[in-house]
Order: sequence, then C-alpha cells, then structure tokens
Amino acid sequence: MTPTTTRRRAAVRLVACAGAAAVLLAGCSTADQGGGAGASRTTDDGRIAYLNLGNFSNQSNPKANYNPFSTTAIGPLWTIYDPLMEVNKYDCSEAPQLATAYEWAGPQEMRLTIREGVTWNDDEPFTAQDVAYTFTLLKDYPALDTKGVGAQLKSAEATSDTEVVLTFDSPAYSIKDKILETTIVPEHVWSTAEDPATYTAEDAVGTGMYTVKSLNPQAFVVEANPDYWQADKVKVDELRFSKAAEGQVDQLRLARGEYDHNSMFVPDVENSYVAKDPEHNKYWFASGSPISLYMNLTEAPFDDVAFRRAISQAMDKERLTQEAGSGYVEPASQTLLVLPGQADWLDPAIPDQGMVSYDPDAASQALTDAGYALDADGKRLGKDGKPMKFTFTTPNGWADWTAAADSVKADFAELGIAVDVETPDYPTVEQDRLTGNYDLAFGVRGGLCSMYQSFAEPLGSANTAPVGKKATTNEVRWQDARTDELLDQLEVTEDAEDQKPIVHELEQIMVDQVPFVPLWYGGKWFEYNTKNATGWPSADDPYAGSDNNRLIYTSLVPAED
Amino acid sequence: MTYFARRIGFFVLTLWGAVTLNFLIPRMSAGDPAQAILEQVAAKDGYVDPAQLEAVRAMLGVPDASLWAQYVDYLKNLASGNFGVSYTYFPYTVTDVIGDALPWTIVLLGTTLILSFVIGTLLGAWVAWRRNTGFDAVVTVGSSFLGTLPFFWLALLLIYVFAITLGWLPSSGGYSGAVEPGPSPEFFVDAWQHFLLPAAAIMITGPIGWMLGMRNNMVASLGEDFTRFGRAKGLSARVLAINYGARVAILPNITGFALALGGLVGGTALVEQVFNYPGMGRLLLEAVANKDFPLMQTIFLFSTVGVLVANLAADLLYGVLDPRARRKEAA
Repeated sequence: MTPTTTRRRAAVRLVACAGAAAVLLAGCSTADQGGGAGASRTTDDGRIAYLNLGNFSNQSNPKANYNPFSTTAIGPLWTIYDPLMEVNKYDCSEAPQLATAYEWAGPQEMRLTIREGVTWNDDEPFTAQDVAYTFTLLKDYPALDTKGVGAQLKSAEATSDTEVVLTFDSPAYSIKDKILETTIVPEHVWSTAEDPATYTAEDAVGTGMYTVKSLNPQAFVVEANPDYWQADKVKVDELRFSKAAEGQVDQLRLARGEYDHNSMFVPDVENSYVAKDPEHNKYWFASGSPISLYMNLTEAPFDDVAFRRAISQAMDKERLTQEAGSGYVEPASQTLLVLPGQADWLDPAIPDQGMVSYDPDAASQALTDAGYALDADGKRLGKDGKPMKFTFTTPNGWADWTAAADSVKADFAELGIAVDVETPDYPTVEQDRLTGNYDLAFGVRGGLCSMYQSFAEPLGSANTAPVGKKATTNEVRWQDARTDELLDQLEVTEDAEDQKPIVHELEQIMVDQVPFVPLWYGGKWFEYNTKNATGWPSADDPYAGSDNNRLIYTSLVPAED
Repeated sequence: MTYFARRIGFFVLTLWGAVTLNFLIPRMSAGDPAQAILEQVAAKDGYVDPAQLEAVRAMLGVPDASLWAQYVDYLKNLASGNFGVSYTYFPYTVTDVIGDALPWTIVLLGTTLILSFVIGTLLGAWVAWRRNTGFDAVVTVGSSFLGTLPFFWLALLLIYVFAITLGWLPSSGGYSGAVEPGPSPEFFVDAWQHFLLPAAAIMITGPIGWMLGMRNNMVASLGEDFTRFGRAKGLSARVLAINYGARVAILPNITGFALALGGLVGGTALVEQVFNYPGMGRLLLEAVANKDFPLMQTIFLFSTVGVLVANLAADLLYGVLDPRARRKEAA
C-alpha cells in the first residue's frame, strides 16, 4: 500500500477525522458544491455532459501553471498535452499518440515516425519540428528534465515533417519508456517564453483531448477539444476536477457518489464505499511497485547473506497485507517482479514464483546455525555476543507503513531480535535512507516496465554511495560485480527475448542473496462510479493501468440506463 | 526623550534578532525541500524517479552557498522587498502567494478581532459596574466555562448544525469555485456565506478574554482611592463608571488589542484548517510541510514584524498617555 492518504500531517488528519465524524452523524447532506445525484448526464446526442473528478493540485491555494515539465504544475495536464506514446502501466504495451512508430538504429539512435494531421489547440499545425524542439528543450534546461531523458540526449533533429532522429550519449534502450512518455509542447509558443524553466504556459496550448475552460483555486474544468486527433473516441464533454476536502470528508463525498472517479485510499472500501451503492460504486486496486524491507548492508549482521535469507523466511507477508494493508494489497515476490502482470519475465527455475514461504522455525534454526545463538532469555545474540537491537525508521503519519513496520517488528521479535519503530518526518527518513544512516527501513523500487531501471536502480553499484553520502537509488548499498555485469549487458540489449536470460539471473540474485526483501505490492487506488459513464478499466477488464488516463478517457461511454 | 529613543533602539535590536532567527531556524531542520515537494508526487504511486529529484533541485536552485553568503543575500533581499520564489508554488513569488492569502485572513480575523474587542470591552465594563450581582456571576462564570471549551469542538458543532443538519451554510473553504473569483456581486455573496461560520466560531470565544480583562481591571480601578474620592465628591454613577473606572481599566486592553492586530497577519492555523479557509495560517502549515523556506520565512517575518511594530506603537502610545511610564524609565 502506498502512502496515498497518509501524507497529511497529524494536525490535518485530526481535523479531517473530527470533521468526518460530524459529517457522518448528519448523514452528510452538505451545502458544498454539487452532488452527483440528479438528472441524467447523457446529452441528447449521446454524450456525457460532464464527469466530476478528484483533486487537481497538491497546493492548498493552487495557482495557474500548465508547464507539463514543472513539478508544481496542476495535476491533470494529460488532458491538455500528448506524449509520443502512452505506455500501458498494466501490461507495458505501447499505445501510439503523437508518434505512430519508432525504431532503433543501434542503442544510441532512435527514429520516430510522427503522426500527421494533428493540430495544436490554437489551430497551428503540429510537426516533427515540435518534437525535436521539445527534446532539445529538455537537454538545454535540466530543471525541466524530470525524467532524465535530456541528460542523456546528444541531439534531436527533425529529418522531415514526419521523422525525428534522437541520438544519445550512451545506450538508451533502458530509458525507452521515458522517451516515449515525453510530453510534446509547441515550439511556436514555447520559443517565445523568456525562461522555459519558470514558464507557466498560461495559454495551455497542447494537442490533447481537452482544453482549459476555467481554473480557480477550488476547481479546474476542461472541455473537449473538437480538433483532437482522435476526437471521435472522446465521449465526455467536460471534466470537472475539484479541490479535495480534507481526508475523510473526501471519502464520504466519494461514497455519496459525488465523484465519478477518484484515486484515494479508503479504509474498509467494501463497507464504506461499495455498500453505499453496490450497483455503481466500484473499485480496482491493481498492484504497483513492491515496497521492500531494506536492511542496511553496510552494517553487521545485515552484511551476512545467511542472516538476510533467514529474515526473508521470517516475514509473515500474509498477516502484513491483511493488517497493515487492509487486505487490499498482495504479498510481493522475492524476484522484484510485479506478479502476475510481469509473469512473462519470471525465471521458471525459481520455485513458487519467488514467493518465499513463511517459516519462522526454519528461520530461527538458520540463524542459530549461522552463529546467531539465543541466550537464556530468548534474546538473539549477534556475533559479538551482545543481544541484537535495531531501529526501524518509517515516515510519521503514514499509518499503513507504520502498521507494516509493526508487523515486521513482530516478525523480528519472533526470532528474539528487538526492533524499535521510530517515526520521524518524511524528509528525515528519506535523507537518512539515502545517506545510509539507518538499520531498517521501507523502500519502493522496481516494478517498472523497464527491467533495466527496475533492477539497476536498487542494485547497481553506480547508483550507490558510501555511507554519509547520498546514494541516487541504491539505498541498501548493494555492491556486487556480477550484478553490475548483468546490468551492463541488460542496458545494451534491445530485444525483450534477449533480455530475459539476463533478467532471470538478476532474479536469482534477488532470491539467493536477498539484497533486500520485497514485502508487498503498493496498491494503485482506483475507485469509479458507473452511474454516468461505463468502460472503466477493472480487474476483469484491465485494458489500461489505473493511471493511463489517455487510454481510459478515450474508452468511456455513457451509461446505458 | 530618552524614553522614546530607548524604545526605538530596543525595537531595532529585537527586529534584527527576529530577522536573524527567522533565517537560521528553518535551516536547522533536516531534509531538503526538493524531497519534501516530491513527497506529494511520490505519494501517488510510491515510486520516485531519481531524475525528477535532480530536476526539482535544478528548478528550485536549492541553496548550496555558505550560510554566511546566504545570510547576506537574505538581508539584501529583505531590504529590497524581494522575498524570493516559493518552492511550493514555483515559479510564483512569495509575494504573489501571500497576496492571495492575506486578504482572506485580514478580513476574517480583522473583522472578528475588532468585533470581539468592542463587544468584550463593553460587556466587561458593564459587568464590572454591576459587580457581585447575579448578572456578574452568570456572565463571568458562564464565559469562563465557554472559554475552556476547545475551539475545535465548537467549530465542528457549528459545522454540524448549520452546514450539515440545516444546510444553510457551506462547511468549508473561502468560496465555492462555482463562481469565478473576482469583484462581482455573485462572488461576494458566495464568499460571505463561507465567511459566516468561521467568523461565528471565532466570535463565540473571541470576546471572552477582552471581557474578563476589562471586568477585572475595572473592578480594581473602581476600588481605587480616586474613585472613592469621586464618589465622595458626589459624582453621578455614570461619570464614575465611564471616566473613573472604564477609562483607566481600558489601557491594558488597548495594548493587547494593538498586539493582536500586529499578530493578525500570521493568521490562525487552527481556524483556517478546520474550515479549510484560504488564509495565512493554512499557508504557513503548507510552507512548513514542504520545507518552503522562502514562504515560511516571509510569513514568520510578517508576523514577527507585525507584533514588534504593534508593540512599539503601544509603547510609544503609553509614553504619551501615561506620564508614569516615561518617568519610571528615566529614573
């Protein structure tokens, strides 16, 4: 489970809870803006007049910023802009958008075929030149390069109106998804910006399926773009995003059908949401990146593979997912793959798909055999003869993570090892994890469509740093020559079939040497209401990942009744 | 004259101390703003792309100069009224962001503060005049009791009754978003409806402090020798109450009022949080959560300077109003 709902500070949470209590008592008839009930939203020409959606900004008083490369921009910019291709986050397939095809001319050159007949929403034609301009922009302005594509780019050139050649300084197969997902912006508008890094693109000129209708700090409304290049697939005239009320008040609004779709964590979703309107209130919580137990490999006894293996056996992932994950999430495979979505990549030689079975007795025995004896009081002794005691750090206020940490603590206690759970604020935890200043912590790595990224980020020695210095992504500080060799091979291997044997060996390293212990798959919260629109992705019909909005909103149709 | 010189000197020294602490304290807390901002993005699926962290750092230009160099820059910028760019609202400046929030806080808190002060002081004077009667007991004990109720609870009770059960007023926000914000009558009505509940919540407990202060001061001043002398001279009850009792008793209340006015720009986090009101208090919470140093510093600075200036004004006023203050200082 991810910290979706848990990011708010304690004070806010307190307010929210109490607010919700009051709302609950009253059966929640509020004077807040428009409920979902009422007349049919289907228009005379068989379209959906509007859909009410959730939050559009993390700012408490959002300000206009339509720069798709800015972290502080408003959220749903997928409505305005298009990427080259949409990478389906469920099955990793590619849906062509502004590019219709691509091919590699070696690991450092990608040739893109650009879609013809697309216009910007200010009626200017879209051309390959815009694509080349966008990539050059990312190269020239590191502040805009949020995916790290520009850093590796050598040049981007439009060789004709429909072809763009991207050349890279180093093999770029591994960042293919990031290249394809790059949002394309109009050269004729952006070239007039004084400083693209601080540009807020107030005209919001894009090729996307919607255009801005209005924005104020409480609401963001977009209307269908009649000139969208696949306008016939868009059946929703207007999308209305509204500023979220605090925590549980928002959950109640969801339960009342005020949102046609939202992505929030809802406790006890069956009772608090589905049961309120079983016919229309639905949800689909797909598995995302695994959340893992990180043991600082620079410290004893975590540097001992026997110790780590025993720990991986001692983790009661079932209990953890039930208690801390509300039963919404699934236990994770030790291979670091997200199963069953990535089952294609699984090494058949690994037993039980890498699901290490819970066996505290065997783990205890293994520890004793490895030289970690129990003393008379049942305390596990380190090799220095002293009882072991570790600190587990997890961010303050992330209730599900704290509960999971308690579950891990109980598993360690079963082995006679004392663990203290500490909850500093998030930046502190993050800082300590990056600099290697921790014993035990949770980390989120892997589970991406790019196998190279999934394994290189947590395991590549290039991504780590000595304790005290910030590691980029290898926070457990795994350093292994064979792993690096495999990652180097993987980086320059284009074809998925050729990648598989390499990935299999990386999975074996995960299983045999346990650099860290994947515990559970982060949940991708996705609630939807079928009263006004149908065609949402679901467990039965996972045609798109829950965050693939461009695929979802071109598939929605008006509800039948 | 030394009295005023001393007061002003003291003000400058305190101001420098406050400005410096304001610079140092945020920098002593752990973590970097880029991470704090990404926490919100990360929360969506838990995975943070390291490239994004780098980009945000590049975007914010997170300071890596020496502390001293930063301090000098900071003072220079303050002097020129340049408060920098907010991290949370990048690329908008702190001035833009505060400009959006400040009017809401000033209207809400300013109105309720003035009302509280006037109502509290008048009521306090009246109660003091009728001291030791049943009326005095009821008002004093009743308001003391009311004052101990948590604001939070009162606010929720109001939301429950007027927003939820009766549905007369909106439960949160400063305006609905359905009407475009601007100087239109529709927006004014919309904002007015959102204003009523938080204002009412503040007004329940707001006057209590002023009232009790006024009552106690006035009870004391009515027991003074000069009042007894006035009564012996045969002055009317009305003149005694207003010119002898209230006029002396109101002095500390005026100081308090000046200080409260000064502190107003900081907003009240609690009220604004409960009602989701788009003012300075909520902005401050957000700035702290995001390690938004420029925004945080400016809000702190505004409220510190506000209080200090109000304090100075009250001191100077005292010097004029009360000769004893001047003489004591000079001695």
